[in-house]
Amino acid sequence: MKLKSKYISITIFILFAAVPVLLGFGYALLYSFGLTGILSEGFTTEYWEKTLLATEFWKSLGFSLMIALVVMIISLFFSIWIVISWTKNLYKGLLSYVTYLPLAFPSIVMAFFSFQLLSKSGFISRLIFNLGWIDDLTQFPDWTNDAYGVAIIFSLCLLITPFFIILYSNLYQNERIPELKALAQTLGAKKNQITTKIIVPILLKKSAFTIMLFVIFVMGTYEIPLLLGRQDPSMLSVFIIQKLQKFNLADIPQAYAVAVIYILLIATLIAVVYKTRPAFFNPEKN
Amino acid sequence: MKKALQILFILSIFFPIAFLLVLSLGRNWPYPELLPQSLSLENWEFLQKSDSKLLQTFFLSLGISILVATVTTALAFITSKHIALSKYRNKLMLLAYIPYVLSPVILAATLHFFFIYAGISGNVSGVLLAQFFIAYPFGVIILNNFWNHKTKAIEELSRTLGSSNWQTFKNVLLPISKNALLLCFFQTFLVSWFEFGLTNLIGVGSVQTLTVRVFSFVNEANIFYAALASCLLILPPMILIWINKRYIFATETVI
Repeated sequence: MKLKSKYISITIFILFAAVPVLLGFGYALLYSFGLTGILSEGFTTEYWEKTLLATEFWKSLGFSLMIALVVMIISLFFSIWIVISWTKNLYKGLLSYVTYLPLAFPSIVMAFFSFQLLSKSGFISRLIFNLGWIDDLTQFPDWTNDAYGVAIIFSLCLLITPFFIILYSNLYQNERIPELKALAQTLGAKKNQITTKIIVPILLKKSAFTIMLFVIFVMGTYEIPLLLGRQDPSMLSVFIIQKLQKFNLADIPQAYAVAVIYILLIATLIAVVYKTRPAFFNPEKN
Repeated sequence: MKKALQILFILSIFFPIAFLLVLSLGRNWPYPELLPQSLSLENWEFLQKSDSKLLQTFFLSLGISILVATVTTALAFITSKHIALSKYRNKLMLLAYIPYVLSPVILAATLHFFFIYAGISGNVSGVLLAQFFIAYPFGVIILNNFWNHKTKAIEELSRTLGSSNWQTFKNVLLPISKNALLLCFFQTFLVSWFEFGLTNLIGVGSVQTLTVRVFSFVNEANIFYAALASCLLILPPMILIWINKRYIFATETVI
């Protein structure tokens, strides 16, 4: 009976967690090789060649990676700085509650807010105009739908930084950093040395897997670049959906080829972590 | 200096909420006015109008999210136990992490054909199933931490003392898992409540959740209604996060 319920549970898990991904991956793979779909005329590598030789795919991949890395660097810097500087305040009082509030913002709302704040006719532009720093809204820089993804980076930092503040404030206590700090001070370490040689390495090492997950999350984010980004370069999710929904049917197999590459990239990264740090998947051994 | 920075930080967190609230009350906002020219509750009255369907949208989103969170939590609670106690725990968790980190909209794009084939594309049941595909692995990841040696030892002790399976489940496991279950429910509720890309693609625009409506209003350049729908979107998560923070985060840690 116990054995039966165990197998039923694992079957349910595989059915709802693994099978959808495998089905989607299989369909995308078949479509990208011309083996299914409206344009299907038998096996061909034409769409893969087009995808891999086209600069727009590589630009999209590079742009997504660049956004993810910039967002992570900014978010990690601010969250670590806040946790180290305001340690005591993060556990009690108004700050301990307020830090959680940004978690209530869905990506689409944050994207809408950022647009109303940073666009040429947005709040900051109006403020600067009223301060007399610009004479016309055209003088305000392009921060939305721009080539560098300024508004995308801004929105994602607003969403991610609070999460890392909470994570690091928990880790700060769980890893007994105050005790280590006191010990280092007793042994004569300077404040700067304690930060760079003890606190930051511990926090970064303990959150390495979460950081990697967030890099993947950001690379696949959709709503924010959809509202705040431009078509070229576009982030991966937007790139795929645009190709799928275009009127040109010949673009669909290419969209699926990019989706296959994206899924393989994620599966490979997770598999690498599984091989090198299996404890991440088993908290009891972590 | 430290105090001033903290006040600035607190103000920067409240600013988006206040900004959206003011916009939701606005009517006319010509450049370079800092605030809308007229502020009234007129937009909020739009909620009550039957043709606006915004209130229906709110309850539809709420219904979908509660259903997804309830089913996910119940199923993840049962299945995560067997996964956590399995000798293949790490391999199975590896399978859970792939859909968890995969962009939901890309998963939806690759699965859309099957939803059309099954006749559930463009309706609520399709959206429910699609959201379940991303919420369930997340639920398993959250509850996987709960099934540790300590829980196993308590369960075995209960059986040793003569409890039946049902008694152990009802009187021992459920009470000690209350926080983990609530955390799982809240987190998966938020996954569903925040979802846009997957819902829009599988729902083909016919299933109008609040996130889909915000996007429609933004596309129509109706910033005041978009702000109103945004306020409705952030309200339930704020209540949940407050409950979470007050009663759960103190004892549980999210990944």
